[in-house]
Amino acid sequence: MLTLLRRRAVSSVVPLLVVVLGVFFLARLTGDPANLYLPLSATPEMRAEFAARNGLDDPLISQFGDYLAQVAHLDFGESLRTAQPAAEAVLRAFPATLQLAGWTMLLAVVGAVVIGSLAAYRPNSATDRIASFLSSTAASVPDFWIAIMGVLVFAVTLGWLPTSGTSGAAAWVLPVATLLIRPFGVLVQVVRGAMGSALSAPYVKVARAKGASEPRVVFGHALRNAAAPALTVAGDLAVGLVNGAVVVETIFGWPGIGKLMIDSVLQRDFAVLQAAVLLTALAIFALNILVDLSHALLDPRVRQRAAV
Amino acid sequence: MTGSGLSRSRPIVASLAVLLAASGCSVAGADPIGGGPDALRVVLPEEPPTLEPCDASLTATGRVTRANITEALTEREPSTGRLEPALATKWTRDSATSWTFTLRRGVTFHDGSPFTAAAAAFSVKRATDSGIDCNVDGYIFADSEFTATPVDDTTLRITTAKPDPILPLRLSFVEIVPTSTDPDSRVREPVGTGPYRIDDWNQGRYLRLKRFPGYWGQTPDFAAATYVWRAEGSVRAAMVTNNEADVAIGLAPEDGAGDRAVEFTTNEVSYLRMDATKPPLDDIRIRQAVNYAIDREGLVTAVFAGRPTGQLVAKGVTGHNPRLRPWPYDPDRARELVAEARADGVRTDTTLTIIGRNGIYPKAAEAMEVVQDGLIKAGLKVRIKMLDVNAWLEYLLRPFPADTGPTLLQAQHGNQAGDAAFTMGQIYGSEGAQSSYGTDALDTLIERAELASGGKRQQAFADAFAHQNDKVVRDAVMANMTGLLALSPKVRYEPDPATNDEMRLADMRRAD
Repeated sequence: MLTLLRRRAVSSVVPLLVVVLGVFFLARLTGDPANLYLPLSATPEMRAEFAARNGLDDPLISQFGDYLAQVAHLDFGESLRTAQPAAEAVLRAFPATLQLAGWTMLLAVVGAVVIGSLAAYRPNSATDRIASFLSSTAASVPDFWIAIMGVLVFAVTLGWLPTSGTSGAAAWVLPVATLLIRPFGVLVQVVRGAMGSALSAPYVKVARAKGASEPRVVFGHALRNAAAPALTVAGDLAVGLVNGAVVVETIFGWPGIGKLMIDSVLQRDFAVLQAAVLLTALAIFALNILVDLSHALLDPRVRQRAAV
Repeated sequence: MTGSGLSRSRPIVASLAVLLAASGCSVAGADPIGGGPDALRVVLPEEPPTLEPCDASLTATGRVTRANITEALTEREPSTGRLEPALATKWTRDSATSWTFTLRRGVTFHDGSPFTAAAAAFSVKRATDSGIDCNVDGYIFADSEFTATPVDDTTLRITTAKPDPILPLRLSFVEIVPTSTDPDSRVREPVGTGPYRIDDWNQGRYLRLKRFPGYWGQTPDFAAATYVWRAEGSVRAAMVTNNEADVAIGLAPEDGAGDRAVEFTTNEVSYLRMDATKPPLDDIRIRQAVNYAIDREGLVTAVFAGRPTGQLVAKGVTGHNPRLRPWPYDPDRARELVAEARADGVRTDTTLTIIGRNGIYPKAAEAMEVVQDGLIKAGLKVRIKMLDVNAWLEYLLRPFPADTGPTLLQAQHGNQAGDAAFTMGQIYGSEGAQSSYGTDALDTLIERAELASGGKRQQAFADAFAHQNDKVVRDAVMANMTGLLALSPKVRYEPDPATNDEMRLADMRRAD
């Protein structure tokens, strides 16, 4: 297990460097921040001064070198917009996104296991057909549309929920529901498929023949074998939640990393953008490693391969 | 062995759930937009990046700080354009380059220290002559030089290097802070003399102000104000209709504020800047044809909200010329002018590029399609290129991108300072930062106007606008734009042309 962990950590270094490099150069291709931060009537001297003070007048390569050296000392620079340390802004925003994503995945997984298993248990029943239809619809509607419709229906028309914000449990409902729909839709289909083949596998028949109860057959025997593919897909979906978070956090005013990223792109706030992307990439690598580890826990073959 | 994998993963799931439940509380309950009947709830399109007083000319910062947290020596009445006393009670021009300001007595800062001429002099110096790169410095003062000296506690003398007839107006942008403010770096949470002081700023979530009991002026109606920010206009509107907020600004008609919406004229004017250095736009007949070919009435009834206008500054701004009418929609005249130019050998078959900016006002792209249609009917070739802010800024500001061919730039100008000096030089001057073309005659008129004062100044700028419109025709001015905000039944508030940049909480009264 430790070997697997070590190997995954080492193999993450290169992609991580690529991400850092990519964000650094792409961000700087998007335009001169002086245009945004200085008044339109700023003189060329003011522009030069601005570039010099923010280290934007050096050649790109040496700016990148300086940046790497800074990061090695855990210094992520200062926000152009607020003049505060970039790391502070990112660390403040990250937990809000983590909580949103955590709740979303938890509910998506639990819901998908229950609905997907029910559908697989009685193939072609009404339950199965409704679940299939709804889940494929859910997997294909855009976040943006769901979010705005959610606000219009549940906040404005019915008045059941707040439109946005983070105060109170009710404020979680719309953002979580919006983020939930797509992963839930995809997972129901994955669980249904995997459970379908697991339930028709010989060992399930054996278990039934031995007189195991139906819940034990479904949730004990079949689910354990269906869990591996579902887990892999759930891992990918959790990574994809970062995209959803940008939309959902912007609409609902959720103070998370997705909103921070969008704001820093729009504001050419390079330091914050770089720090946000770096932390998100780290989180995604950590998540992937977790998925692999759980995979190994569930499937002895993975463990053996890792041990070789 | 059966189920061992599951039983091993169960503690993981359980601990994840506990972690989430525990951490959930830290976000939940941290956003007190509520606050009772005595608190005003305001929803803005974006969080102020900083409340640094010398960045008050940035919209996001100014609309929270100006006249709420900090105050200036003078203030401009947005509807009439008159300059009113604020922290200064009167001012006199002693000579062409010297002014004396008499300051208000009995004013204290939020930290309890008294407001004196020393604080005023310090604030002016900090905003205009320090290394902290104040936005107001570039926006309002550009390269003007001056010295502020306290004479006694309530008298401030300011001398300028060059005659500056609108110095008191410029000073309406310098927010006054106590001498204890850091002169060498920006502050996030300023101390001011305004009717409200900062109570709690939870970054990313909300900003709360509360009434300052020691305020020198009239006590405002609301004891506190909470600002939150939502990027989506429909959400901001919904917050007012859903009773989550009392005031929402920056709305578009389609955001659905319904009968809670209040319309007001802003000082923003939309226009197209023609690159008159390149054929065929270097021929004045083509530029006139562009003006005749645009259906301004159609634009403001069907596309965006506003009133057609013929000049870049709105009523109330010194230099506004009431004689200038919007160009009439006359497609036949436009066609004739293009045909005439073509007959004289002007290359009217060169493709013009409209450089548009997404989101500059509601339905920005649709507006440019209407313009394109009109120009094509007039006999010109036109394509549209819609850009995002930063790419668009490259076209707005000198030096302009090379090899672009003739362009029409979709632009908008809001003179929030109240004097045409902040419009003319940079937009119409030959060397202006946003100017692609100017003439010597127009430059002379602008320079003369900038040095004039009083009624002569008004007339001189009005003449310069008329000259631009009749003789230069560098652009096609379209409309004076209308703003939209939403108010809850709890609040009485009359927005004015400056509301987008300056939202005075003290002007918001309880409706009951």
